[in-house]
Amino acid sequence: MRDCKIVSRKFELPNSHTLEVSKAHGGYKTLEKLREHSPLEIIDIIKASNLRGKGGGGAPAGEKWELMPQNSLKPSFLAVNCDESEPGTFKDRQIITKDPHLLIEGILITCYAIRAKHAYIYIRGEYKQFQDILQGAIDEAYEDGLLKECDITVHRGAGAYICGEKSALLESMEGKRGHPRLKPKQKEPEWFFDNPTLVNNVETIATVPFIVQNGADAYRAFGTEQSPGTLLFSMSGHVQKPGVYEAEFGTSMMEYIRHFGGGVKGGKKLKAVIPGGVSCGVLTAEECENLTLDYEALRCMRSSLGTGGMILMDEDTDMVVALKNILEFYHEESCGQCTPCREGTGWSDKLVAKILEKKGTKEDLNKLLEIADTMNGKTICVFAPAASAVIVDFMRKFRDEFEAKL
Amino acid sequence: MSEMIDIIVDSQSYKVQNGSLLIDLLIKEKIKVPYFCYHESLGADGNCRMCMVEIEGQKRPQIACDTFIKPGMIIRSKGENIEKVRTDILELELINHPVDCPICDQAGECSLQEFYMEYGLHDSKISISEKVKHSKHLDLGSNVMLDQERCVLCARCTRFTDKITYTHELGIIGRGDEAKVTTMPGRKLDNPYAMNVVDLCPVGALTSKDFRFAQRVWFLQTVDSICHGCAKGCNIYIDHNKIKYQDDVIYRFRPRRNDNVNGFFICDAGRLSYKQLQENRLESAILNGEKITQMQAIAKAKELLAKHKENITVVIDANLYTEEIEAILAFAKELNAKVCSPKEVYRDESFKDDMLRSSNRAANYKTIERLNIDTKEPDSSSLILNFNHPQDFEATSVINFLTHNRLSLGLSLPIAAYSENEGTLTNEDGFTQKCEKAIFKNVPIPTIIEHLIRLRR
Repeated sequence: MRDCKIVSRKFELPNSHTLEVSKAHGGYKTLEKLREHSPLEIIDIIKASNLRGKGGGGAPAGEKWELMPQNSLKPSFLAVNCDESEPGTFKDRQIITKDPHLLIEGILITCYAIRAKHAYIYIRGEYKQFQDILQGAIDEAYEDGLLKECDITVHRGAGAYICGEKSALLESMEGKRGHPRLKPKQKEPEWFFDNPTLVNNVETIATVPFIVQNGADAYRAFGTEQSPGTLLFSMSGHVQKPGVYEAEFGTSMMEYIRHFGGGVKGGKKLKAVIPGGVSCGVLTAEECENLTLDYEALRCMRSSLGTGGMILMDEDTDMVVALKNILEFYHEESCGQCTPCREGTGWSDKLVAKILEKKGTKEDLNKLLEIADTMNGKTICVFAPAASAVIVDFMRKFRDEFEAKL
Repeated sequence: MSEMIDIIVDSQSYKVQNGSLLIDLLIKEKIKVPYFCYHESLGADGNCRMCMVEIEGQKRPQIACDTFIKPGMIIRSKGENIEKVRTDILELELINHPVDCPICDQAGECSLQEFYMEYGLHDSKISISEKVKHSKHLDLGSNVMLDQERCVLCARCTRFTDKITYTHELGIIGRGDEAKVTTMPGRKLDNPYAMNVVDLCPVGALTSKDFRFAQRVWFLQTVDSICHGCAKGCNIYIDHNKIKYQDDVIYRFRPRRNDNVNGFFICDAGRLSYKQLQENRLESAILNGEKITQMQAIAKAKELLAKHKENITVVIDANLYTEEIEAILAFAKELNAKVCSPKEVYRDESFKDDMLRSSNRAANYKTIERLNIDTKEPDSSSLILNFNHPQDFEATSVINFLTHNRLSLGLSLPIAAYSENEGTLTNEDGFTQKCEKAIFKNVPIPTIIEHLIRLRR
């Protein structure tokens, strides 16, 4: 397996979060050459690299950058999404604690490209101790004069999963309730107090310095044609060595688990994997056998790569309990805006609880699928469709376990 | 203005403005789509997900309140698929609803009930004990009571205080099925338009303390009228009912949409002004504090008119209907009397705001202006005929024509209030609007015009 550390290059260094160590190992180097390019050229480099958003959706980042107006009378903003709340995902916090200066460097490049003078980092409320490290790095950068042309403000969320959705994030930053907005009918930037705003994930921004420094081709040398580059994949659950390990797209899932994770915990057999945080459809061990970790391969399996946060489940896992666990999360975190999600997540949670108590009937199983159907594709954001897909996948692939509990 | 284009809804063609909202067309053409959260005054919020329609070429059903019309659109609002979607969402909407219609004031004018009859009709699959419990009677202030369990979280009320009154008292707290409407911490719902949230609420979550448990809405009769609270002339509905042998009673005023005048709303002062129409009414003629009959009163009035015919002043209330004012003017001309309508008493700067409320608290002062009636205080006269003007006047003799009891000497004759009569008013912006007769009393009180006829005989 090829060694490919783009974002995690400095993670292992002692005191990697300090400006001194960062600069000693090539941090902020790109800024020296940055002015040789025009902002549009930077965007072209990002487009040529086919950098895909690393927050879960995998949308091409360059296309998003392009939507930002280059000569707007209104100020432009960058909002960096660090509201990392997807269960099974813990990669962004590695970046902000191990190499926050890489993120700041990425922010400076991005702000130059989209002509923004102010960047916000929206950090999840629970990340207080990581926020302190990040803020320390920003303070260092201010003292060093790196942030003369661009301000960075860390905005702490209040602990709602939905605020990781980009429009809900901006609503929350505006001081409102974190509700996703209705989607625009044409392609346009996001809006922060009616000003054009780019929202990108921490890891996406942290990848930018490498691409600008080494060129699009150097990035495309990793990964597959359609999913170029690397991702901070992570593992949790029944695995020997859980953690975050950077790998290129297209790596074999099982090889990744063996190489970095040391296989399933206790030498047990693998039963299922949720490939990228709980919003992605569950995969059985057989399905994972020849699977590669890239957006296209996962889509073929009717799942998705998501954030690359794999949750492994061994042979002793009770899938009904696992589903209950996930549904509790959805029940708790639904923002309550759209009817199908607000009521559907709660009701399905209650139904699975009923099945676990052995009070369920066959009708309840059918009702569960019916609720999943109503939640799918009928809401403002993709929270309910994700919950729906989870229910459907668990029921489809492990129906016998549900029926055994009736 | 964008161009007019053709689109097809349920195999029928409609001409409609390019880029306008689909749901507006559906509402205008009375094509039935269920919806809770959309309101023409508040715009789309897209949270109830009920107004789903099928659009040809789109894989999934779309909400009509967030669909902008484009040329060549083919839309289906009916059919098995789309009705199944509505049924399923409605079932979810009802899953935590207490279904306490028998004790709910909204029953009979509740969107949830209507849609259930149209699309639901299913049995509940969840027992009452499993439902999420919230507070059932929260006094929000300003006569508004909240039942959080009945709420469908359409956010119309919160959007009203955010976008219309800019007072921001209401908000939603909690997530998922624990989400509920409440006031901001330490605040009460407190603005002069607060009770409009009761009309906006599509279900029985927000009810008016004033109307709660007073009447079943299906017993009420509704009449179009105009609020007399100020010169704005807000359009209202008068909801009234006459129970068996009792007198006809007004139970509430509700705003009636008129985009030229008041839009969708009325102020709370106007809404509650119905009470004044029923309290402390003058019901029989009074001479120097003693009750007398109508016949005696008319005879006495004729006697006074004959005695003082050289020096009579007629004072007119600027709240009277135009027809009444014109009849009084004609009568005054016959008597050769001076006419005035002192206007200072109507001015109330503290009442004025930048929404609907006007500082001029006379519903028909425009007509007084149009007819060139003197707005100064009357000169000294030997006889004053006061047609319900709020001031009292000094003269040798006074004949009052009053709707309400007043401590005044001389002769007082009762007259019908505006709800017991019909006529027109011209508001401060020059719109002439009609009020219908709402109340038919068991013992009718004569109108001014009826009095004038008798005085002439």
